[in-house]
Amino acid sequence: MVDRIVDHNDDTRSIFLRMRERMPLRSLPGQFISILIPLGDETRRRAYSIASMDSGVIEICFNQVPNGRGVGWLFERAPGDAVEFMGPFGNFTLDAPPQVETIFVAEGTAIAPILPMLHRAREASHAPIFLLYAASDRAHILYGIELEALAARDANFRFETMIAGGNILARLRDEVEYRWIAADTNRARQFYVCGVGKGVIAIRDMLRTSGYERRAVHYEQW
Amino acid sequence: MAKLHIKFENGDPDRVIEFNPADAPFHHDGRPGSILDILLGNKIHLEHACGGNCACTTCHVVVKEGMSKLSEAEESEEDMLDKAPGLTPTSRLGCQAVVTEPDAEITIVVPRFTINLASENRDET
Repeated sequence: MVDRIVDHNDDTRSIFLRMRERMPLRSLPGQFISILIPLGDETRRRAYSIASMDSGVIEICFNQVPNGRGVGWLFERAPGDAVEFMGPFGNFTLDAPPQVETIFVAEGTAIAPILPMLHRAREASHAPIFLLYAASDRAHILYGIELEALAARDANFRFETMIAGGNILARLRDEVEYRWIAADTNRARQFYVCGVGKGVIAIRDMLRTSGYERRAVHYEQW
Repeated sequence: MAKLHIKFENGDPDRVIEFNPADAPFHHDGRPGSILDILLGNKIHLEHACGGNCACTTCHVVVKEGMSKLSEAEESEEDMLDKAPGLTPTSRLGCQAVVTEPDAEITIVVPRFTINLASENRDET
Protein backbone atom coordinates (compact mmCIF):
# COMPACT_ATOMS: atom_id res chain seq x y z
CA MET A 1 0.00 0.00 0.00
CA VAL A 2 1.02 3.63 -0.39
CA ASP A 3 3.05 4.53 2.68
CA ARG A 4 3.86 8.14 1.85
CA ILE A 5 4.15 10.59 -1.00
CA VAL A 6 6.87 13.13 -1.76
CA ASP A 7 6.46 15.79 -4.44
CA HIS A 8 9.73 16.81 -6.09
CA ASN A 9 8.21 19.68 -8.08
CA ASP A 10 4.91 20.63 -9.79
CA ASP A 11 4.71 17.48 -11.93
CA THR A 12 7.11 14.94 -10.44
CA ARG A 13 6.33 12.70 -7.50
CA SER A 14 7.72 9.78 -5.51
CA ILE A 15 5.44 7.19 -3.99
CA PHE A 16 6.73 4.89 -1.27
CA LEU A 17 5.07 1.46 -1.24
CA ARG A 18 5.06 -0.62 1.92
CA MET A 19 4.29 -4.32 1.81
CA ARG A 20 1.21 -5.23 3.80
CA GLU A 21 2.86 -8.43 4.87
CA ARG A 22 6.59 -8.54 5.30
CA MET A 23 7.77 -10.64 2.36
CA PRO A 24 11.29 -11.23 1.14
CA LEU A 25 11.80 -8.96 -1.83
CA ARG A 26 15.14 -8.95 -3.57
CA SER A 27 16.08 -6.56 -6.30
CA LEU A 28 19.19 -5.63 -8.21
CA PRO A 29 20.05 -1.95 -8.54
CA GLY A 30 18.32 -0.68 -11.68
CA GLN A 31 15.35 -3.03 -11.72
CA PHE A 32 11.70 -2.03 -11.94
CA ILE A 33 8.36 -3.18 -10.64
CA SER A 34 5.40 -3.78 -12.90
CA ILE A 35 2.36 -2.00 -11.49
CA LEU A 36 -1.08 -3.32 -12.38
CA ILE A 37 -3.15 -0.26 -13.23
CA PRO A 38 -6.92 -0.59 -13.57
CA LEU A 39 -8.13 1.47 -16.52
CA GLY A 40 -11.78 1.04 -17.36
CA ASP A 41 -12.61 -2.66 -17.57
CA GLU A 42 -9.04 -3.82 -18.04
CA THR A 43 -5.75 -3.87 -16.21
CA ARG A 44 -2.58 -2.57 -17.80
CA ARG A 45 0.99 -3.15 -16.69
CA ARG A 46 3.34 -0.26 -16.42
CA ALA A 47 6.97 -0.47 -15.41
CA TYR A 48 8.39 1.91 -12.80
CA SER A 49 12.03 1.85 -11.80
CA ILE A 50 12.88 1.36 -8.17
CA ALA A 51 14.51 4.58 -7.00
CA SER A 52 15.19 3.17 -3.55
CA MET A 53 14.30 0.20 -1.39
CA ASP A 54 14.72 0.32 2.35
CA SER A 55 13.30 -2.15 4.88
CA GLY A 56 10.80 -3.43 2.36
CA VAL A 57 9.61 0.05 1.36
CA ILE A 58 9.93 0.65 -2.37
CA GLU A 59 10.18 4.12 -3.87
CA ILE A 60 9.09 4.80 -7.42
CA CYS A 61 9.40 8.20 -9.09
CA PHE A 62 7.33 9.47 -12.00
CA ASN A 63 6.10 12.61 -13.69
CA GLN A 64 2.94 13.77 -15.42
CA VAL A 65 2.88 13.13 -19.15
CA PRO A 66 0.30 14.30 -21.70
CA ASN A 67 -2.52 11.73 -21.98
CA GLY A 68 -0.70 9.46 -19.53
CA ARG A 69 -3.63 7.54 -18.08
CA GLY A 70 -1.48 5.11 -16.13
CA VAL A 71 0.56 7.79 -14.45
CA GLY A 72 -2.64 9.78 -13.92
CA TRP A 73 -3.98 6.86 -11.88
CA LEU A 74 -0.80 6.84 -9.82
CA PHE A 75 -1.10 10.56 -9.12
CA GLU A 76 -4.56 9.89 -7.69
CA ARG A 77 -3.25 7.42 -5.09
CA ALA A 78 -3.21 8.53 -1.47
CA PRO A 79 -1.49 7.11 1.62
CA GLY A 80 -3.17 3.84 2.61
CA ASP A 81 -4.35 3.00 -0.93
CA ALA A 82 -3.58 -0.48 -2.22
CA VAL A 83 -1.27 -0.84 -5.21
CA GLU A 84 -0.74 -4.23 -6.83
CA PHE A 85 2.54 -4.95 -8.51
CA MET A 86 4.79 -7.72 -9.81
CA GLY A 87 8.53 -7.94 -9.75
CA PRO A 88 11.18 -6.75 -9.48
CA PHE A 89 12.15 -7.31 -13.10
CA GLY A 90 14.66 -5.95 -15.58
CA ASN A 91 18.16 -6.43 -16.93
CA PHE A 92 19.37 -2.84 -16.83
CA THR A 93 21.27 -3.53 -13.63
CA LEU A 94 24.55 -3.05 -11.88
CA ASP A 95 24.95 -6.07 -9.67
CA ALA A 96 28.59 -5.67 -8.64
CA PRO A 97 30.85 -2.71 -7.97
CA PRO A 98 32.54 -1.76 -11.25
CA GLN A 99 36.18 -2.53 -11.94
CA VAL A 100 36.55 0.10 -14.65
CA GLU A 101 35.67 3.76 -14.98
CA THR A 102 31.91 3.92 -15.16
CA ILE A 103 29.84 6.71 -16.65
CA PHE A 104 26.15 7.14 -15.86
CA VAL A 105 24.04 9.32 -18.14
CA ALA A 106 20.47 10.21 -17.20
CA GLU A 107 17.75 12.76 -17.76
CA GLY A 108 14.88 13.85 -15.49
CA THR A 109 13.07 10.97 -13.78
CA ALA A 110 15.36 8.49 -15.55
CA ILE A 111 17.72 9.10 -12.65
CA ALA A 112 15.50 6.61 -10.73
CA PRO A 113 17.20 3.34 -11.82
CA ILE A 114 20.61 5.05 -11.73
CA LEU A 115 20.37 6.07 -8.05
CA PRO A 116 20.53 2.57 -6.55
CA MET A 117 23.30 1.73 -9.03
CA LEU A 118 25.35 4.66 -7.74
CA HIS A 119 24.92 3.46 -4.17
CA ARG A 120 25.95 -0.06 -5.19
CA ALA A 121 28.85 1.18 -7.31
CA ARG A 122 30.47 3.14 -4.53
CA GLU A 123 30.16 0.38 -1.91
CA ALA A 124 33.45 -1.27 -2.71
CA SER A 125 34.72 0.20 -5.91
CA HIS A 126 37.92 2.13 -6.45
CA ALA A 127 37.06 2.82 -10.07
CA PRO A 128 36.10 6.39 -11.00
CA ILE A 129 32.35 6.87 -11.20
CA PHE A 130 30.81 9.82 -12.97
CA LEU A 131 27.20 10.88 -13.41
CA LEU A 132 26.11 13.29 -16.13
CA TYR A 133 22.56 14.28 -15.30
CA ALA A 134 20.41 16.64 -17.35
CA ALA A 135 16.93 18.09 -17.02
CA SER A 136 14.82 20.73 -18.72
CA ASP A 137 15.25 23.17 -15.83
CA ARG A 138 16.69 23.37 -12.33
CA ALA A 139 13.45 22.20 -10.66
CA HIS A 140 13.61 18.91 -12.57
CA ILE A 141 17.08 17.98 -11.33
CA LEU A 142 15.99 15.39 -8.74
CA TYR A 143 17.77 14.02 -5.66
CA GLY A 144 20.31 16.86 -5.72
CA ILE A 145 20.96 16.69 -1.97
CA GLU A 146 21.44 12.92 -2.09
CA LEU A 147 23.86 13.20 -4.99
CA GLU A 148 25.87 15.91 -3.26
CA ALA A 149 26.05 13.81 -0.11
CA LEU A 150 27.28 10.84 -2.13
CA ALA A 151 29.97 12.93 -3.78
CA ALA A 152 31.04 14.38 -0.44
CA ARG A 153 31.49 10.90 1.04
CA ASP A 154 33.26 9.29 -1.89
CA ALA A 155 36.20 10.85 -3.70
CA ASN A 156 35.75 8.37 -6.57
CA PHE A 157 32.28 9.68 -7.37
CA ARG A 158 31.67 12.95 -9.18
CA PHE A 159 28.59 14.30 -10.87
CA GLU A 160 27.59 17.21 -13.04
CA THR A 161 24.14 18.49 -13.80
CA MET A 162 23.10 20.17 -17.00
CA ILE A 163 20.09 22.35 -17.73
CA ALA A 164 19.21 21.40 -21.26
CA GLY A 165 15.92 23.09 -22.13
CA GLY A 166 13.93 21.17 -24.74
CA ASN A 167 15.96 18.49 -26.47
CA ILE A 168 17.69 16.99 -23.45
CA LEU A 169 19.00 13.77 -24.99
CA ALA A 170 20.47 15.60 -27.98
CA ARG A 171 22.42 17.79 -25.56
CA LEU A 172 23.49 14.75 -23.60
CA ARG A 173 24.63 13.06 -26.79
CA ASP A 174 26.82 16.04 -27.67
CA GLU A 175 28.33 16.05 -24.18
CA VAL A 176 29.02 12.33 -24.26
CA GLU A 177 30.72 12.69 -27.63
CA TYR A 178 32.83 15.63 -26.45
CA ARG A 179 33.87 14.10 -23.12
CA TRP A 180 34.34 10.40 -23.80
CA ILE A 181 34.85 10.02 -27.55
CA ALA A 182 36.56 13.12 -28.92
CA ALA A 183 38.63 13.86 -25.80
CA ASP A 184 40.76 10.70 -25.74
CA THR A 185 41.28 7.21 -27.14
CA ASN A 186 40.41 5.37 -23.92
CA ARG A 187 37.66 2.88 -24.77
CA ALA A 188 37.80 0.84 -21.56
CA ARG A 189 34.97 2.70 -19.84
CA GLN A 190 31.51 1.32 -19.34
CA PHE A 191 28.30 3.31 -19.66
CA TYR A 192 24.80 3.20 -18.20
CA VAL A 193 22.39 5.42 -20.12
CA CYS A 194 18.73 5.98 -19.29
CA GLY A 195 16.17 8.37 -20.74
CA VAL A 196 12.98 8.82 -22.70
CA GLY A 197 12.84 8.15 -26.44
CA LYS A 198 15.12 7.33 -29.34
CA GLY A 199 17.86 9.65 -28.11
CA VAL A 200 18.99 6.83 -25.83
CA ILE A 201 19.53 4.61 -28.87
CA ALA A 202 21.45 7.39 -30.60
CA ILE A 203 23.84 7.57 -27.64
CA ARG A 204 24.17 3.78 -27.59
CA ASP A 205 24.99 3.65 -31.29
CA MET A 206 27.46 6.53 -31.07
CA LEU A 207 29.37 4.87 -28.23
CA ARG A 208 29.44 1.44 -29.86
CA THR A 209 30.53 2.72 -33.26
CA SER A 210 33.28 4.80 -31.67
CA GLY A 211 35.02 1.75 -30.26
CA TYR A 212 33.36 0.90 -26.96
CA GLU A 213 32.50 -2.78 -26.54
CA ARG A 214 28.88 -3.64 -27.13
CA ARG A 215 28.51 -5.11 -23.66
CA ALA A 216 30.11 -2.08 -22.04
CA VAL A 217 27.22 0.10 -23.15
CA HIS A 218 24.16 -0.55 -21.02
CA TYR A 219 20.98 1.38 -21.64
CA GLU A 220 17.30 1.56 -20.93
CA GLN A 221 14.98 3.46 -23.23
CA TRP A 222 11.67 4.62 -21.73
CA MET B 1 -4.99 -15.93 -43.04
CA ALA B 2 -1.90 -16.42 -40.89
CA LYS B 3 -1.72 -19.12 -38.26
CA LEU B 4 0.07 -19.06 -34.91
CA HIS B 5 0.50 -22.30 -32.94
CA ILE B 6 1.31 -21.84 -29.26
CA LYS B 7 2.76 -24.58 -27.06
CA PHE B 8 3.30 -24.15 -23.34
CA GLU B 9 6.20 -25.89 -21.63
CA ASN B 10 4.26 -25.99 -18.37
CA GLY B 11 1.77 -28.41 -19.91
CA ASP B 12 -1.11 -26.03 -20.60
CA PRO B 13 -3.10 -27.09 -23.68
CA ASP B 14 -1.80 -26.00 -27.09
CA ARG B 15 -3.60 -23.13 -28.77
CA VAL B 16 -3.95 -22.05 -32.39
CA ILE B 17 -4.83 -18.55 -33.55
CA GLU B 18 -5.87 -17.66 -37.08
CA PHE B 19 -5.60 -13.99 -37.88
CA ASN B 20 -5.02 -11.41 -40.59
CA PRO B 21 -1.76 -9.52 -39.90
CA ALA B 22 -3.22 -6.49 -41.66
CA ASP B 23 -5.78 -6.17 -38.85
CA ALA B 24 -3.09 -5.34 -36.27
CA PRO B 25 -3.01 -3.99 -33.63
CA PHE B 26 -5.10 -6.54 -31.74
CA HIS B 27 -4.37 -5.14 -28.28
CA HIS B 28 -2.42 -2.24 -26.80
CA ASP B 29 0.86 -3.71 -25.59
CA GLY B 30 3.86 -4.71 -27.71
CA ARG B 31 4.49 -3.79 -31.31
CA PRO B 32 1.36 -3.92 -33.46
CA GLY B 33 1.19 -7.38 -35.02
CA SER B 34 3.76 -8.81 -32.61
CA ILE B 35 3.36 -12.23 -31.04
CA LEU B 36 2.48 -10.52 -27.76
CA ASP B 37 -0.09 -8.30 -29.47
CA ILE B 38 -1.67 -11.31 -31.22
CA LEU B 39 -1.83 -13.42 -28.06
CA LEU B 40 -3.27 -10.69 -25.85
CA GLY B 41 -5.79 -9.78 -28.53
CA ASN B 42 -6.97 -13.39 -28.43
CA LYS B 43 -7.12 -13.47 -24.63
CA ILE B 44 -4.08 -15.72 -24.28
CA HIS B 45 -1.83 -14.58 -21.49
CA LEU B 46 1.84 -13.93 -22.17
CA GLU B 47 3.75 -12.16 -19.43
CA HIS B 48 5.07 -8.70 -20.30
CA ALA B 49 6.23 -7.03 -17.13
CA CYS B 50 7.57 -3.91 -18.85
CA GLY B 51 4.32 -3.34 -20.74
CA GLY B 52 5.70 -4.74 -23.99
CA ASN B 53 8.42 -2.12 -24.47
CA CYS B 54 11.54 -4.27 -24.92
CA ALA B 55 12.74 -3.52 -21.38
CA CYS B 56 12.65 -7.05 -19.94
CA THR B 57 12.60 -10.66 -21.09
CA THR B 58 9.37 -11.90 -19.53
CA CYS B 59 7.74 -12.32 -22.97
CA HIS B 60 10.60 -14.54 -24.17
CA VAL B 61 9.35 -17.22 -26.58
CA VAL B 62 11.16 -19.84 -28.63
CA VAL B 63 10.20 -20.01 -32.30
CA LYS B 64 10.01 -23.61 -33.52
CA GLU B 65 8.71 -22.96 -37.05
CA GLY B 66 8.31 -19.88 -39.21
CA MET B 67 11.28 -17.80 -38.00
CA SER B 68 11.64 -16.24 -41.47
CA LYS B 69 8.03 -15.03 -41.34
CA LEU B 70 8.84 -12.71 -38.45
CA SER B 71 10.42 -9.27 -38.52
CA GLU B 72 14.17 -9.30 -37.97
CA ALA B 73 15.36 -8.68 -34.43
CA GLU B 74 16.76 -5.20 -33.88
CA GLU B 75 19.82 -4.47 -31.75
CA SER B 76 17.72 -3.52 -28.70
CA GLU B 77 15.97 -6.90 -28.78
CA GLU B 78 19.28 -8.75 -29.24
CA ASP B 79 20.76 -6.85 -26.29
CA MET B 80 17.82 -7.80 -24.12
CA LEU B 81 17.81 -11.43 -25.22
CA ASP B 82 21.51 -11.66 -24.31
CA LYS B 83 20.37 -11.56 -20.69
CA ALA B 84 17.41 -13.91 -21.03
CA PRO B 85 17.51 -17.18 -19.12
CA GLY B 86 17.32 -20.24 -21.36
CA LEU B 87 18.37 -18.40 -24.52
CA THR B 88 18.20 -20.45 -27.72
CA PRO B 89 19.19 -19.62 -31.33
CA THR B 90 15.51 -19.07 -32.15
CA SER B 91 14.57 -17.08 -29.07
CA ARG B 92 12.56 -13.90 -29.63
CA LEU B 93 10.82 -11.35 -27.48
CA GLY B 94 7.10 -11.69 -28.03
CA CYS B 95 6.65 -7.91 -27.86
CA GLN B 96 9.12 -7.28 -30.71
CA ALA B 97 8.65 -10.18 -33.16
CA VAL B 98 6.07 -9.03 -35.70
CA VAL B 99 4.32 -11.43 -38.07
CA THR B 100 4.98 -9.92 -41.47
CA GLU B 101 3.37 -12.26 -44.02
CA PRO B 102 -0.38 -12.70 -44.55
CA ASP B 103 -0.15 -16.49 -44.90
CA ALA B 104 2.56 -17.10 -42.31
CA GLU B 105 2.44 -20.30 -40.27
CA ILE B 106 4.40 -19.99 -37.04
CA THR B 107 4.90 -22.25 -34.04
CA ILE B 108 6.18 -20.92 -30.74
CA VAL B 109 6.88 -22.41 -27.33
CA VAL B 110 6.37 -20.40 -24.15
CA PRO B 111 9.22 -21.68 -21.96
CA ARG B 112 8.58 -22.93 -18.46
CA PHE B 113 11.04 -20.45 -16.92
CA THR B 114 9.21 -17.53 -18.56
CA ILE B 115 6.01 -18.63 -16.85
CA ASN B 116 7.75 -19.36 -13.54
CA LEU B 117 9.61 -16.05 -13.52
CA ALA B 118 6.36 -14.16 -13.64
CA SER B 119 4.46 -16.20 -11.08
CA GLU B 120 7.32 -16.33 -8.58
CA ASN B 121 7.76 -12.59 -8.71
CA ARG B 122 4.14 -11.71 -8.22
CA ASP B 123 3.55 -9.69 -5.07
CA GLU B 124 0.79 -7.57 -3.70
CA THR B 125 1.19 -4.61 -1.40
